[in-house]
Amino acid sequence: MDRSKETVSTLGRMPSTRRHWSRAALFTGVGLLLAGCANNAPQDIFEPKGENAKKIDTLQRPVFYIAGIVALIVIGIVGYAMWKFRDRGQDIPEQSHGNPKLEIALTILPAIILAAISVPTVISVFELDKKTDTECIINVTGQQWWWEYDYATGQCGDVKIDKPIVTAGELVIPEKTNVLLRITSRDVIHSYWIPALNGKRDAVPGRLHTLRMQADQPGIYTGQCTEFCGLSHARMRQAAVALTTSDFQQWVDNQLKEYVAPEAGSLAAEGEAVFTANCSKCHQVNDLKNADGSPVLSDPDLYVVSGVAPNLSHLMNRTAFAGWTFDLLTEECRTALWTAKPADFGAMYLKGVTPECFNEVALRDWLRNPPAMKPMFVDPNNLSSTGGKYRGMPNLNLKPDQIDQLIAYLLGRN
Amino acid sequence: MADIAVHDVDHAHTDHGAYEDHAPHATSTGLSNNKLSMWLFLGSECLLFGGLISTYMLYRGRHEAGPGPDQIFDIPLTSVSSFILLMSSLTMVLAVNSAKRKDDRNTSLWLTITALLGALFVGGQVYEFTSFYHEGLGFTTSLFGSSFYTLTGFHGVHVTLGIIMLMVVVFIMQRDRITGDKAEVVELVGLYWHFVDVVWVIIFTLVYLIPS
Amino acid sequence: MAIIERPAAVPATVDAVAAPEVVTPTQALGAFRRPVSSTGWKSWLFTVDHKKLGIMYGAVSLFFFLVGGIEALLIRLQLAAPDNTVLSADQYNQMFTMHATTMVFLFVMPMAAAFANYFLPLQIGARDVAFPRINALGFWLFLFGGLFLNSSWLLGGAADGGWFMYSPNSSALFSPSHGIDFWVLGLQITGIASLIGALNLIVTVLNMRAPGMKLMQMPVFTWMVLVVQFLLLFAMPVITVALFLLSFQRNFGATFFDVNQGADPLLWQHLFWIFGHPEVYIIILPSFGIISEVLPTFARKPLFGYKFVVFSGAAIGFVGWGVWAHHMFASGLGPVSVAVFSVATMLIAIPTGVKIVNWTLTLWGGKLWFTTAMLFAIGVIVLFTIGGVSGVTHAVAPSDTQQTDTYHIVAHFHYVIVGGAVMGLFAGFYFWWPKMFGKMLNERLGKWNFWLMFFGVNLTFGPMHILGLQGQPRRMVVWPEKLTGDGFFDMHFWNQIASVGSFVIGLGVLIFVINIFWTWKKAPIAPLDPWDARTLEWITASPPKEHNFDRIPTVHALDEFFHRKYEEVDTADGPRLVKVKSAEEILAEEESHADAHIHLPSPSYWPIVLAAALPIIAYGVIYNLMLSVVGTAVLLLAVFGWCLEPSVADDSDYDPPAGGDSTKELATLG
Repeated sequence: MDRSKETVSTLGRMPSTRRHWSRAALFTGVGLLLAGCANNAPQDIFEPKGENAKKIDTLQRPVFYIAGIVALIVIGIVGYAMWKFRDRGQDIPEQSHGNPKLEIALTILPAIILAAISVPTVISVFELDKKTDTECIINVTGQQWWWEYDYATGQCGDVKIDKPIVTAGELVIPEKTNVLLRITSRDVIHSYWIPALNGKRDAVPGRLHTLRMQADQPGIYTGQCTEFCGLSHARMRQAAVALTTSDFQQWVDNQLKEYVAPEAGSLAAEGEAVFTANCSKCHQVNDLKNADGSPVLSDPDLYVVSGVAPNLSHLMNRTAFAGWTFDLLTEECRTALWTAKPADFGAMYLKGVTPECFNEVALRDWLRNPPAMKPMFVDPNNLSSTGGKYRGMPNLNLKPDQIDQLIAYLLGRN
Repeated sequence: MADIAVHDVDHAHTDHGAYEDHAPHATSTGLSNNKLSMWLFLGSECLLFGGLISTYMLYRGRHEAGPGPDQIFDIPLTSVSSFILLMSSLTMVLAVNSAKRKDDRNTSLWLTITALLGALFVGGQVYEFTSFYHEGLGFTTSLFGSSFYTLTGFHGVHVTLGIIMLMVVVFIMQRDRITGDKAEVVELVGLYWHFVDVVWVIIFTLVYLIPS
Repeated sequence: MAIIERPAAVPATVDAVAAPEVVTPTQALGAFRRPVSSTGWKSWLFTVDHKKLGIMYGAVSLFFFLVGGIEALLIRLQLAAPDNTVLSADQYNQMFTMHATTMVFLFVMPMAAAFANYFLPLQIGARDVAFPRINALGFWLFLFGGLFLNSSWLLGGAADGGWFMYSPNSSALFSPSHGIDFWVLGLQITGIASLIGALNLIVTVLNMRAPGMKLMQMPVFTWMVLVVQFLLLFAMPVITVALFLLSFQRNFGATFFDVNQGADPLLWQHLFWIFGHPEVYIIILPSFGIISEVLPTFARKPLFGYKFVVFSGAAIGFVGWGVWAHHMFASGLGPVSVAVFSVATMLIAIPTGVKIVNWTLTLWGGKLWFTTAMLFAIGVIVLFTIGGVSGVTHAVAPSDTQQTDTYHIVAHFHYVIVGGAVMGLFAGFYFWWPKMFGKMLNERLGKWNFWLMFFGVNLTFGPMHILGLQGQPRRMVVWPEKLTGDGFFDMHFWNQIASVGSFVIGLGVLIFVINIFWTWKKAPIAPLDPWDARTLEWITASPPKEHNFDRIPTVHALDEFFHRKYEEVDTADGPRLVKVKSAEEILAEEESHADAHIHLPSPSYWPIVLAAALPIIAYGVIYNLMLSVVGTAVLLLAVFGWCLEPSVADDSDYDPPAGGDSTKELATLG
């Protein structure tokens, strides 16, 4: 007894402890509550826009509430106990070693809560894996540091795709359609994630994983690669674009339209030559022909570890480039598109990158020196580990007038 | 029980002369520290080999380049070397028995024979690796090659370490420099040796006998 | 046997109250003179004393804590603004890889080992661990492994594959610098340290308890450490296999993770997480043990439901083996595995909940004394609860596919590791400092330390819940302005708060470091029993003598020390606890019955020599195998010397104790 008093006086006590504690508890509680207060963050997981994401949301919301309540109760009890049983000079308490009945009850209680959570969890796991009602199949392949989409020929919802479509960065799907992504990778592990439409699925080289994508209404839904994939993991992004069936038909038609060569003698025609001489080693533009009429076929396998580079046939029908990191649209036009009403979205999107909306600065910087904008493994003096191949796009040392010509040419790739 | 446990926990280190004939070491578990730690170590080793065996089982069918298991395994040869290793467990038992009878001469003899049998096994493994290599299965040839050599190589290293331990025990026993209970030292090496043998029985069955 | 210097002759009559004779043999063995110093730097370099090793473990871990902390601050500086350029992408990737590696393998684990080394023998009434030289070897391996790992910063860059080091991103094709080689080999070296440490401590606990101490009378810290050692014993070999496969691939051309040869990258993930999940409990359980000592002490009542706490600890250790794939819910395992691992993961929340309930009920009805140690312990309950419930949100597998690899996960495990494990270790510092150094850490600075860390943790990691749920993924060197949302509370705001918070934690840690120096220079000598403590380590002097206990205590009850001090006395108002003896009286009693002829294990050169051989071999693997040959030669020399050296120098000429007081000797060949 007296011993304890002695030590107390040696050390001093903090009378304000209790106040601090209640403040701390309050802060934590408020912090947790604010978690729900998202303001239009495009990747907010609490704003599902498709069937599977909604299923997940329905499942996780109550879990978050239960978790929050349990935490507040525990913290509340701890706080109360700290106030109630603080040392006020009372006797040393009875040396009780516990109360088995109470302990068993308090073991069973969380067990019941968890059992209640586990049943819907297991049901959802199987529901989310459903593939039998697939209406459209798209192959998705990750590589450092961008996504490639390869549309299988055949039906995609109500639209028939006659020839293969290969595109990058932006996944275009018809709305209200059960799209099955078949996901793999050509180099390291990546992970495909469009929070508004579904959870993540890893893209593992040598394995094929599937993920259902379904969007309830037209719009653009952003996402990112979420498995650490090396140097430019932070600059490997993607989006899913949902269109109405007729708009999707229009998009497919545009993807499959004939190659339109630039008018002879124009800046763009010079750009075509620059493209053929430099870019086409890796980047394919469908139906591009050499002067002798033979097709220009890219062979990225010779230069790039993953063996592919984005297909640029319809670059200006996408809204961003280089792993969907840099905008092709000016900020104003991008904001307008991102916030467009579902009814207006399709028409706006299908216009592509018009000259007045074109964010020329970014593309120009990129062509001047790509690794300066996005770190890549392209130092020509340091390629021994890859056998001389690049991971990413090297600096091509283009001259300013070549860049002008290229930009004029690329603006026509819509 | 606890009362005995404390006093005289272990004299293993000072057993020269005066303490020599003390009662068996009294510890809380009744097992000496050394023996208990050897058991624990072997438990840990189980997971090491578990990991290696799992890797091999996953990859044994994957050999795009180079030969596969069915093409190169020489079951009769490996059976003979496996038999030799099994026999070495028998001689190890005899060594432990001799050690318990404080028969240093026979202990040394059996330990030496055990080491020789072990060396014969390792020799067989070296021969096997060499012939596989000439048949086109290198360490880097295929997944099968990498995982096969890693698994059997790890086991071979364990046998080799065992042989070294056996020889060291023989050596220091003859110079009477074992710091502790001789029989227990022999028994500890024996535990390790038997473990390595048992692991081989598993490897032999899974790797060689069960067709992929 | 060449030169033998006999120990000084024992006085014929031993004064009953005098300190017992500590026999420190001084003879040489062959050509090598045994190290004998018990003061000065040599006494630290060659020591096998578990207390000195514990202090060295602590000091080195604290150093690595500061290193890892600086890495964390750099990360938060980079993330304080969108598209920031404090660090390049390459530097950032190295930074977060090494931050995690350092904090897990070079701070939390060895710091827990520091406490385990120092207090486990004291708590069970032993004079040292079972294998003192192996204990020393473990420390030197940890130190050299950690330095080796960090030397990569100066030799072309550190590992950049994340602490989980997923293949194939970790292969030489995708990470050509030597960073990952350093990482792999460094972890192999520290892994050996963990493994032999585990063997040593398990044997110590199972074999060397004081008379009368049953397993269910061991202090909870000892129990939790025991569970952790079993986890280490079985988890380390699995990561060892994985690391071998990876280094064979990187250094010797094996194909284990070469997808073109048909390899399955998920093999690495399974091996890594079979180790990695038990590792989570390896990190957290020692702190659970510490606060299970601190809370009863300052609540003045026994731990509520001791058996439940012990069994739930064991249950966590056991079930912890069956949940590894919850790190892989997005890896494409298939619905059956996902469902099974999801339910198993929820299962493990039950024993964890039991612990929180028991700690809370320990406070209930107590007489609470809010020292810094107590505040840290209560801080653990609060912060770990938050980390625990957010853990349940991602045990729900479908919801985890949204949360995994976002900042929500970063928030979760930092609440668990910083709020749980690190705050628990700090509780241990304040609680045990007077025992280890005989001086109290300053309580005023301690309160600052606690509140800054407590608010700092909430400021840093609280907002990360929000960031993650709003879609900010982990391991991103930059986050773009256009994804931050609108309004005042956008992600920009929360990122800045988190960065500010990290510096608040940093300030708290700085105050702790200042406190250490202040205490070292200025603090008065601490009372013998400053906390009115309960367990066996307080029954001896502070700091304990080299042989720990003058007389090995006989144990009659859980909280033995408390029961020697207090007795229940019937009064008119019913039974009351009355203090019948002071700690000083108890100590005097022990000293007056001191054991005679206590043999302590002798210092040895070989642990440090053996440990030094391994980094040499490892540098050789990376740069030139000839160096490995040299290293192996050193290794063999050390093993040879070790085997021929008795753990206690030869004293066969020394009279065995006859009658009277008992002799307690330290075990072993180790």
